[in-house]
Amino acid sequence: MVLEATMICIDNSEWMRNGDYSPTRFQAQADAVNLICGAKTQSNPENTVGVLTMAGKGVRVLVTPTSDLGKILACMHGLEIGGEMNLAAGIQVAQLALKHRQNKKQQQRIIVFAGGPVKYDKKVLEMIGKKLKKNSVALDVVNFGEEDEEKTEKLEALVAAVNNNDSSHIVHVPAGSNALSDVLLSTPIFTGDGEGGSGFAAAAAAAAAGGVSGFDFGVDPNLDPELALALRVSMEEERARQEAAAKKAADDSSKQDKEGESTSQDATMSENAATSASESENKKDDLMDDENALLQQALAMSMDDPAATVTTRDTDMSEAAADDQDLALALQLSVQEGGKDQSGETDMGKLLSDQSFMSSVLASLPGVDPNDPSVKDLLASMQNQPEVSPKKDEDKPKEEDK
Amino acid sequence: MSAESASAILRNQVDLLDFIDWTGVECLNQNTSHPFPNALKQGYREDEGLNLESDADEQLLIYIPFTQVIKLHSIVIKGPEEEGPQTVKLYTNKEHMGFSNVADYPPSDTLTFSPENLQGKPVVLKYVKFQNVRSLTVFIEDNQSGSDVTKVQKIILQGTTVETTDMKGLKKIEDH
Repeated sequence: MVLEATMICIDNSEWMRNGDYSPTRFQAQADAVNLICGAKTQSNPENTVGVLTMAGKGVRVLVTPTSDLGKILACMHGLEIGGEMNLAAGIQVAQLALKHRQNKKQQQRIIVFAGGPVKYDKKVLEMIGKKLKKNSVALDVVNFGEEDEEKTEKLEALVAAVNNNDSSHIVHVPAGSNALSDVLLSTPIFTGDGEGGSGFAAAAAAAAAGGVSGFDFGVDPNLDPELALALRVSMEEERARQEAAAKKAADDSSKQDKEGESTSQDATMSENAATSASESENKKDDLMDDENALLQQALAMSMDDPAATVTTRDTDMSEAAADDQDLALALQLSVQEGGKDQSGETDMGKLLSDQSFMSSVLASLPGVDPNDPSVKDLLASMQNQPEVSPKKDEDKPKEEDK
Repeated sequence: MSAESASAILRNQVDLLDFIDWTGVECLNQNTSHPFPNALKQGYREDEGLNLESDADEQLLIYIPFTQVIKLHSIVIKGPEEEGPQTVKLYTNKEHMGFSNVADYPPSDTLTFSPENLQGKPVVLKYVKFQNVRSLTVFIEDNQSGSDVTKVQKIILQGTTVETTDMKGLKKIEDH
């Protein structure tokens, strides 16, 4: 959460036309810049970021340090590629831009994307580095694109001259299948900011790769607990539904799971506000089509991890709708699997039949009135060991459901 | 007459250490293993082994804000004979100066330190220029021997406070 003013130096020289980073070096660089801007502004709302180009007709400042992310992203459009990268001038102009920042309390940082060859001497670069250190400016260098030993040596010397207490870093990104931005996410350029950067990085990684990294579901529970919870709920239901579907059709089980998982993940990632909608989409199919599948779902959920599902089901019940119907449904399902005894596990059954435990759980849930007749019925039925017919209670939730 | 008034001032002067606003003190080009508290803070500066040292080159820029307005009378800078400071420029009431804008404003005073001064003899300042000081910037331009590292063992600022309202002493008047 360091308060920082950053100047990003972009290389728009002829060497950026090369396609060894997909789609082109320039595009990969632009993606990385967007990512960095987002991370900086997110880690501290008062952070400012500015952008300048080092090649082309000359060093040109596109936007002075500002906290307006839209302005920064907009200035990246319509950039022309050409000329040769002028590293020394670029850094000096960046230093000047930082000197005139509005909030003098911000730490100064320059991030340089060095794609083309470096024509300056090592000595000159070291002098520049010393000057930066003297004025307490930190420097991060992303060495990509042209690879030659001299360039690497020069850039290493530059960063070593600036480095004060590990605040400056250099990252070498070789060409390959990994996108430039993905490689950068794990480097100190992002994470060097501490915890603040990593939250954003995790979210970005999840969105990009469709996987999870750091936090579950790519969303920091601290930043957005409701969203994280909703995502987790829909993920689990989807997972259970997949297992139910797998049981139904043994042939297509593996294919279905994979497809279902990736599509459901995309759905949950993109439709933030409408997670309940996607939930209901999934659920509707089950409820309308196959009641057994739901029962299998609850069964599967409890089979996976008895301890965990108790707590998750609690939160499911409390957060997902907090309606009596849903609660009754969920209780029903857990009652059902206790009765069916499909895999011989009886821990859950024991827990559920322990009336005192159940009533204490119910009492702690918001929106549940233990004196409600339907709840009372359920408790009574559980006491007598599950023999209850699902029909009566399921019809009620089914009508009023979604 | 001037000698008398000078000695009168000397009698009242205090070490302004207590009036330094420590949260705002900044030091550019310091070596992080030898930072400014070594020269300014109570316990550290007495220790001869602890110095404030410069890093990339021999210049140092120390910004010292005060908690209230003071008048600065004299300054003591102690340092080793060779690497101790020689030319010191003082700027008053300028915030966030950098090495690039030291040339932009004329300093309130320019001092040249002799080896004697480095032993602890105070250097008296142009008192009239330091009547209303909220913050002081000390720019150490070079050192005695011209080496790459400047070392400062102790900095003492001596002067008096200006009568300012003590906000804590303000009491609410009872409504009639």
